[in-house]
Amino acid sequence: MDKAIKRYFPVFMLPTLLAFVIGFIAPFILGVYLSFCKFTTINDATFVGLSNFAKIFEDATFGHALWFTALFTVVTVALINVLAFAVAMALTRKIQGANLYRTVFFMPNLIGGIVLGYIWQLLLNGILAHFERTLTYSSVYGFWGLVILLLWQQIGYMMVIYIAGIQNVPGELMEAAKIDGATSAQCLRHVTIPMIMPSVTICTFLTLTNGFKMFDQNLALTNGAPSDMSEMLALNIFNTFYSRSGYEGVGQAKAVVFFLLVAAIALIQTKITSSKEVQQ
Amino acid sequence: MKKTKQLVALGLGIAMACAALAACGGGASTGTTAAPSTTAGAPAAPAAGETTAASAQAATSGGAGKVFYLNFKPEQADQWVALAKKYTQETGVQVDVITAASGTYAQTLKSEIAKSDPPTLFQVNGPVGLQDWKDYCYDLKGTKIYEALAGDEYALYNGSEVAGIAYVIETYGIIYNKKLLDEYFALPTASIKSIDQLDNFAALKTVADEIQANKDELGVEGAFGSTGMDSSSDWRFKTHLANLPIYYEYQAEGITSTPAIKGTYLDNYKQIFDLYITDSVCPPSMISSKTGEDAASEFALAECVFYQNGTWAYNDIKGNEVADEDLGMLPIYIGVAGEENQGLCTGSENFWCVNKKAKPEDVQATLDFLYWVISSDTGREALAKEMGFVTPFTTFTADYLPQNPLVLANDAYTKAGKKAVTWNFTTMPSEEWKNGVGNALLEYAQGTGTWDAVKTAFVDGWAKEYAAVNN
Amino acid sequence: MSATNQTGAAGAAGNQGGAGVAPSAEAHGAEAHGAKAHGAQSKTGAAKSGAPKAAGMPPVKKKFGALTVIFGIISIAYIYPILLVAINSFKKKAYISKYPFRLPDEKTFVGLDNYIGGIEKTNMIESFGWTLFITIGSVAVIILCTSMCAWYINRVKNAVTKTFYTLCLFSMIVPFQMVMFTLSKIANVLRLNNPWGIIIVYLGFGAGLSVFMFAGFVKSIPLEIEEAAMIDGCTPIQTFFQVVMPIMKPTMITVSILQTMWIWNDYLLPYLVLDLKKYKTVSISVQYLKGGYGSVDMGAMMGCLVLAIIPIIVFYLFCQKYIIEGVVAGAVKG
Repeated sequence: MDKAIKRYFPVFMLPTLLAFVIGFIAPFILGVYLSFCKFTTINDATFVGLSNFAKIFEDATFGHALWFTALFTVVTVALINVLAFAVAMALTRKIQGANLYRTVFFMPNLIGGIVLGYIWQLLLNGILAHFERTLTYSSVYGFWGLVILLLWQQIGYMMVIYIAGIQNVPGELMEAAKIDGATSAQCLRHVTIPMIMPSVTICTFLTLTNGFKMFDQNLALTNGAPSDMSEMLALNIFNTFYSRSGYEGVGQAKAVVFFLLVAAIALIQTKITSSKEVQQ
Repeated sequence: MKKTKQLVALGLGIAMACAALAACGGGASTGTTAAPSTTAGAPAAPAAGETTAASAQAATSGGAGKVFYLNFKPEQADQWVALAKKYTQETGVQVDVITAASGTYAQTLKSEIAKSDPPTLFQVNGPVGLQDWKDYCYDLKGTKIYEALAGDEYALYNGSEVAGIAYVIETYGIIYNKKLLDEYFALPTASIKSIDQLDNFAALKTVADEIQANKDELGVEGAFGSTGMDSSSDWRFKTHLANLPIYYEYQAEGITSTPAIKGTYLDNYKQIFDLYITDSVCPPSMISSKTGEDAASEFALAECVFYQNGTWAYNDIKGNEVADEDLGMLPIYIGVAGEENQGLCTGSENFWCVNKKAKPEDVQATLDFLYWVISSDTGREALAKEMGFVTPFTTFTADYLPQNPLVLANDAYTKAGKKAVTWNFTTMPSEEWKNGVGNALLEYAQGTGTWDAVKTAFVDGWAKEYAAVNN
Repeated sequence: MSATNQTGAAGAAGNQGGAGVAPSAEAHGAEAHGAKAHGAQSKTGAAKSGAPKAAGMPPVKKKFGALTVIFGIISIAYIYPILLVAINSFKKKAYISKYPFRLPDEKTFVGLDNYIGGIEKTNMIESFGWTLFITIGSVAVIILCTSMCAWYINRVKNAVTKTFYTLCLFSMIVPFQMVMFTLSKIANVLRLNNPWGIIIVYLGFGAGLSVFMFAGFVKSIPLEIEEAAMIDGCTPIQTFFQVVMPIMKPTMITVSILQTMWIWNDYLLPYLVLDLKKYKTVSISVQYLKGGYGSVDMGAMMGCLVLAIIPIIVFYLFCQKYIIEGVVAGAVKG
């Protein structure tokens, strides 16, 4: 049978393979290559070794963006997961209108980051105006503005994943625990949470990468102001690339560093959380 | 690893062939573009692919050229599109206009010009901008549009070549509301009693302070409109206002550009900026999100008396609470000796350049289009009346002078023998420098930074950016 | 990496078992579905018991208590930002950022001016059309091509398919910034800078996740059904379309929902790839409004934001069941 299918390579495999080469493999390889080059377009690239990477460290904005992004990611991962889990717990109880609430909470996910950014800019600047402040007054406001925005956007998404996880906890297990005299807090800690570890893994992974790679919301809400102080990594790379002539190579080098960071986080995170999952 | 390499090599090769097919498919389904379909030679690398695709296109399209204008001025974006449409109707030549969002022109130009269908007409903002793009500038010497130029000072030279041609002459200063100012003069407590006395910084400060003190009586919210420092709008201060200390330093030193600015007049810069943010409709802690549009609406709704901007702001102001005859423009006084004779800031940072690397027929089409714009009735009407431009072309006869009251204000100063301030911000070393100054200014205004940081960004930043750009 | 992802794949299959119980999927290929459920891990049983609750509220008595009130209030607060934009979209632009919380009155009300202005300024209708075209086109192509591809690499195991699969997994963790410049250049050289071409770009850049998800599912399809079809004289193409594809339906829904949410809202990829003088997407149009040399036309901005939101909310309200299920099923992408 394999042989029969194998001949159909051009039909089944080729279109995706070609597109994959165009859309990923070729750009990726070229991207790695260009990070060692000085260039304005691909044609005029000249090899310069590691000097682009050296320039990253001279650039204070990159360090700041890295720190800002890391802090942002930690805060949002913690808040989103805790809140989403709490909401999921509440909505899996039999409360009236649970379906409606779920619909409402999930909705912001459907709206794109650029649009969300401008929606929240209007609201937050309106509120801050009462205190004679703005989102771009200092990076602190920008930071929390971005946190609120991302919470609003993503709690619903993580919530539905947690709801599915909670509903998959076998009812017998819960009842057995209750018969053994466990309090609801003990049930939560010793039954529910271990049983939904797969959901936790997924949500942590999603929130981690979403936070770390955030671009659109950052661009629309603060655009890095003031003084690039609310600029996250993805935006920093974009600005290095497109706003300064002569820095394309540095931008590409930053992108490589960024990629390595994302890959490292993804690997470590999956290792850690998946080891905690229980076999169901 | 070896296998991966082979795979990639194979993939790249097929990719090229596939792309050629995709190009055909695209062309056929749009039915609007004569897409080149002769790239099926499957070159082995993207670099080679680029040249092949380009030459194939040159060979197949032939004949009539196209125009692609990358416009710099978003205020006139719609008018350019309309004008392009009229030209296409009249001549059948395709003209595309795309306008870059504020602050993204260099970035848009960079990405557009590298594409296979690059802009044939673009802009540089002066000698500094020209450095980046001089390799792309067609020598305009001998063209009809160059011949129509009223004077050589409106041409931008690259050596002996004419790399760019200014197409609009603009003026900025402190726009004021005559009616409100007259009400102030009429106040019994007013120290300054007429506009004639308002010809230096001390007088301006007195007026602004007293308006601010009597704002309720005058029915305004402040003397100056908000000093909007949103990144879309901070050019009013980091570029246009910063021109004045640079201008006076150049005057004092007898130079027209410099690798290292001294910052002799930075205290004056501080004085005027302090005045703007103190006697204002909005507290300094809020200016980071205020835009030029906010300031324009405050002025247009007669909530403030003064507002720094230029002749181009007329479109935003007109048709609201402020009548045309009440519009005036004052020079920006910063407290330099002899400023009584200072005029408004007049110049151009808009130079048309024709892309020499475009196809020859496109270059020709672009030159024809440009000449049509400045010589035909439709073109002159659009530029002078709809866009409100003062142009440096001899083709614009008396019938085609703009009705803009702010332009007329400038004429009055010129007639009175005041000396116009030239636009020296075209010699600022880079966008990065401007951003540095803008950020420092904002932080100073909010109280989250110091004036010393502005000085550092201005003086040290200049030398640093100059060095970075010029080697 | 790949080991942990395998676990994820098994999870995906399990969850799809749950989603598959939803009424709509029942009609098609019920037989095949049953076969699959047996083939899958015992986990499916657990998923099944949870599924009815997820698909609709069970007919159990609901409590109306403090929680309901609290969540009612939170829900209103949740919608408020969108309402605020909608309210402001009817106000004169000079009053929007100044008094965002005031309702429009005779002086500030401008009717539909902001919408008209916004549409004229950004060509919103056209952008909307292109976004729709790109999204539908890309998702359809991705679904078709990657499902075929995933089946192929599962059935034909050789160096090429194995390498390809590993690269697909790898591509999922690569941030777009890594390839943004080179991808836009390649797309441009290959003349993919139009809504037709960008479909190929999306297929390429989005292939990783889709192939991974389909491949995870294909593993759980028992070979016997296909072999039976082949013996009956079906070509692999017929086998795929007549036998395999119907079984894959739940995964197809999942993948298309995830991809739709990504592509519809994507900003940077189309911004860098498309020929902006001819084609814009909704996100690009909105971002384009911010700019305008010192002027952000807040009126037009509000109008465009509302226009950008309404269709997606309407779509959501109609398809929310599939969307939420799709997200849950797809969450296991690892």
